[in-house]
Amino acid sequence: MEGNMILLLPMLCPIAAGIVVLAGKVFRKNRKYLTGLSVMVLVLEFALALWAVMSGGGLTMLRLTDQLSLGLHADGVSRLFAMLTASVWLLVGIYSVAYMSHEEEEHRFFGYYLIAVGVLMGLNFSANLITLYVFYELMTLTSLPLVLHERSKEAVRAGLKYLFYSVAGAFLALFGIFFLAGVSESLTFTAGGVLNDGALAGKEGVFLISAFCMILGFGAKAGMFPLHGWLPTAHPVAPACASAVLSGLITKAGVLAIIRVVYYVIGADRLRGTWVQNAWILLTLLTVFMGSMLAYKEPVMKKRLAYSTVSQVSYVLFGLSMLNQTAFVGALSHVVFHSVIKNVLFLTAGAVIVTTGWTRVEQMRGLGQVMPKTLACYTAAALALIGIPPASGFVSKWYLASGALSSGTGVWAWAGPAVLLVSALLTAGYLLPLTIQGFFPGHDFKGEEIQKRKLTGKEPSIWMLAPIAALAAAALLFGCFPGSLISMLQSIAASVL
Amino acid sequence: MIQHLSLNIEETAAVILFGVGFTILLLHRNLIKKIMGMNIMDTATYLFLASKGYITGRAVPIVADGVQEVSAYINPVPSGLVLTGIVVSVSTTALMLSLTIRLYERYHSLDLDEILILAKEEEQT
Amino acid sequence: MSFVQNFPFFSIILAMFSGIVSSVLPGKKARNLSLLMIAVTTALSAGTLFFCLRTGESYTYMMGHFPAPWGNEIRAGILEGATAVFFGVVMFLAVLGGLDHTAEDVEEKKLNLFYIMIDLMLSSLLALVYTNDLFTAYVFVEINTIAGCGLIMIRQKGRSMSAAIRYMIMSQLGSGLFLIGLSILYDITGHLLMSPAKESVAALAAAGDYRIPMLVIMAVIGVGLAIKSGLYPFHYWIPDTYGYATPTASAVLSGLVSKGYIFLLIKIFYRVLGYDNLVSSQMVNVLYVFGITGMVMGSLHAIHETDTRRMTAYSSVAQIGYIYMGIGLGTQPGMVAAVFHIFTHSATKALLFISAVGLYEASGDKKDYISLRGAGYRNPLAGIGFTVGSLSMVGFPMLSGFISKLLFATSALESPHKMLPTLIVLAVSTTLNAVYFLRLVITLYSRRRPEDAPISEVKVRSSWHLRLAILCFIAVNLVLGMSSQPIVQAITDGLAMFG
Repeated sequence: MEGNMILLLPMLCPIAAGIVVLAGKVFRKNRKYLTGLSVMVLVLEFALALWAVMSGGGLTMLRLTDQLSLGLHADGVSRLFAMLTASVWLLVGIYSVAYMSHEEEEHRFFGYYLIAVGVLMGLNFSANLITLYVFYELMTLTSLPLVLHERSKEAVRAGLKYLFYSVAGAFLALFGIFFLAGVSESLTFTAGGVLNDGALAGKEGVFLISAFCMILGFGAKAGMFPLHGWLPTAHPVAPACASAVLSGLITKAGVLAIIRVVYYVIGADRLRGTWVQNAWILLTLLTVFMGSMLAYKEPVMKKRLAYSTVSQVSYVLFGLSMLNQTAFVGALSHVVFHSVIKNVLFLTAGAVIVTTGWTRVEQMRGLGQVMPKTLACYTAAALALIGIPPASGFVSKWYLASGALSSGTGVWAWAGPAVLLVSALLTAGYLLPLTIQGFFPGHDFKGEEIQKRKLTGKEPSIWMLAPIAALAAAALLFGCFPGSLISMLQSIAASVL
Repeated sequence: MIQHLSLNIEETAAVILFGVGFTILLLHRNLIKKIMGMNIMDTATYLFLASKGYITGRAVPIVADGVQEVSAYINPVPSGLVLTGIVVSVSTTALMLSLTIRLYERYHSLDLDEILILAKEEEQT
Repeated sequence: MSFVQNFPFFSIILAMFSGIVSSVLPGKKARNLSLLMIAVTTALSAGTLFFCLRTGESYTYMMGHFPAPWGNEIRAGILEGATAVFFGVVMFLAVLGGLDHTAEDVEEKKLNLFYIMIDLMLSSLLALVYTNDLFTAYVFVEINTIAGCGLIMIRQKGRSMSAAIRYMIMSQLGSGLFLIGLSILYDITGHLLMSPAKESVAALAAAGDYRIPMLVIMAVIGVGLAIKSGLYPFHYWIPDTYGYATPTASAVLSGLVSKGYIFLLIKIFYRVLGYDNLVSSQMVNVLYVFGITGMVMGSLHAIHETDTRRMTAYSSVAQIGYIYMGIGLGTQPGMVAAVFHIFTHSATKALLFISAVGLYEASGDKKDYISLRGAGYRNPLAGIGFTVGSLSMVGFPMLSGFISKLLFATSALESPHKMLPTLIVLAVSTTLNAVYFLRLVITLYSRRRPEDAPISEVKVRSSWHLRLAILCFIAVNLVLGMSSQPIVQAITDGLAMFG
């Protein structure tokens, strides 16, 4: 243990609190203690993350071998992901206090919810590939109970599917880690890569295969084709607040892992122009298009949002695969914007379920009469995701498209933006019907069910509405004032490319 | 080739016997015959060792009549090895036979495949 | 000569005599004597290890009155000491953890017989580790086989007896091949002691004489010991043997006995046949192919098993494959990885078998997936133990399995032709391991369904010795996983002493 111990706090504090919540009998009986403690810990977590981000530095926890160690550090990417995780986790935590009152065994949900954020913080602050891998596996294991929460047969099946896709992906990546450990001095993340040219000589073929395996393997968590199958199964069965963070943040862990591997261990220059880059671009574009199409056809709201996640996270991966600065900035900003937006959308879906019990989009006709404020927030987020200026999605897509156009990747340079454009249209096609049907159900809509159940104007409680509104506002404001975020991302991009 | 084999007739016989014993132990279904095969295999090895230790025209390595030169006796080590080997082989044979008796009492069969099937059925009921 | 140098001899003799004394003791006393003896021999081995570490040299110890080329010798170095200590620790914990089940599975009157077998087993394992004489190795291989067979058949069930006879048959095939190999070697070199035999072999190899007989010797000894350790195509006896013996016996047989033979094989490779001769004769490639086939096939068999103990047994087939793959890489780092995996697998597989006992106790002594559903809640410590063992087998960082896999992978990078197949098979086999181990772990932690048959007798709390054994095994696993550097260094030094 040497270095800045503050980095440990955002990781250990929620894990300890989570274990206390899981073990303590008092939290099972008394809901007030449970929710009070959880929210307090989440607020504290935000403060600790901020402290850790401000103090910076590095920390070596344990040496596994001479070459490999477990360590934490805070660089630009860590800071971005840590602050994003802490703030979204806090807001969704507040929302869950109201949402989970309708579910059983809340202590288990909150316990694992807290542990998962601690593990995710460890992942964000990881200083080398081995640490990242440890936390990546731990994250799979600790987020699994969130998927399994309902304990129904369906949930167990979805959980197993989630587990096997993640584990299979992680082992594909492990194959790459083993290879990279042999051809580098250490696996510590360094902008521009750490590989040793001498050791790599004569092994270029295997090197590219292992790089591709790592992208594919970590891509499983990010829902990249062909390992995307778990996402539309696992996200909808979890409670809405869990699916919000699973979709908004846990998928981003896969993105983070790929950023670390490609830009901080391998080095972007080694992949530029290889078959790996081309295959990667092809997979991301396929995923973008396929996800949007499936979302467009999907009638169940949460599933539709899950497919949307498949598509949107691959926007990010597409930006990363371009291997140039502008697209990199676009990708990272889309990480932030998509997390915020997808949380709004999932939380709205949750609010609808809690208030009305509706799960399918066609049931939600006339939703504007029930919860106009919530639906307004949803609309704002939907517009942002589609990319209508000045909302946030426009900014990230602008950078993605202009980055792709100037990337010099041949046919991809124009095919990529074209696919993004088509997918944006599809996004509008699958998100906006709810708004249109909700606010303007048409003349023939009598709203008998709404009147019979006295649902008119029945907004969710303020504890649910406030986080939704805050996130929706963020989705809009980031688009109006992106300057400081973009300049921070540009400095990161300049360091790695 | 034939000449070589006939010159080393004991070794040839030993290797052939070893093969016979090995095959019986591996492939025969009857437990008693398996044990016989095992004994043939072991004995073949002893034949091999004993023939290696024997030097034509020399005596058993027991000092008699006060003759002390090494050149008067055969190599005693292989004989010692054979004796040790026989002890080992006797004990394993005894163990295998006792197991066979147990299994025969239980399943009234000496056929290993049949015993395995019967044992599986017995467990399931 | 320092007094410490007697320790290897003392430990072998002590183990053997406690076996003899136990034959007239009642069961409980035999048990206590056995535990005490294992603890003492482990301490003696530790003394030997520290002596070798301090002097930095290995030494030979003359048995009887005949000096080097004729007599019988013991040899001790860092690797021998470390292996002996490790075997002692695993043996102690396995016996400790299985105490209750041993008492249940074995008739009261025959209890002392079980512990005689344990004593003989340890004595023969130590002899295999320390001996410098090939024929002594053969004799102790046979003693080991008989003791192992005794451990299996002491549980008087039909399946364990049929498993015992199968084990015996396969072992006899193996030791027969080993014996004929020794005889031919003796025929050619005129030596049974390892060091002079190696000199003769080196001289023959340099002169280019007896190439074909040397090849036959390598093949026969290699295959013989491979059969006995359960390498893939010769693995048929493993699932029955490990699956139906009493838990201590399963843990000892899978964790130690097969490893003893592999250790002997490595020793013969280095100390008699010469590793370079072996590499140039392509023998290692044969072992390599068998090894990687075993890694995949063992896991595939394990996936199909519904009985969790047989599943764990099949996983041993895969893990033995890992070890032979490391040997087959034909490089020094590959061998280090193989020896490290011997340690990893002993500790982990014994942990799995022992903690499974706790889970079966909590599930009415049933061993299939459905009955084990939710067992992780009914016996939390056993559940944690099994989870740690599974994660280690799967290769979770900070546990010993990860370091093994890392060593295998990095050593594979040094042999250009075997790099790609090794890495691919490692990845495939790891994924397959994950499929069956994690499926079981999830089963342990999922809720029982209403349609599940009720559990007849639930024993909620395991005895203290079982819990202690599980905790110690977890600790061993963590130590191997987190501070592997000195151990790897010791293995490297020890192999260098083999010369």
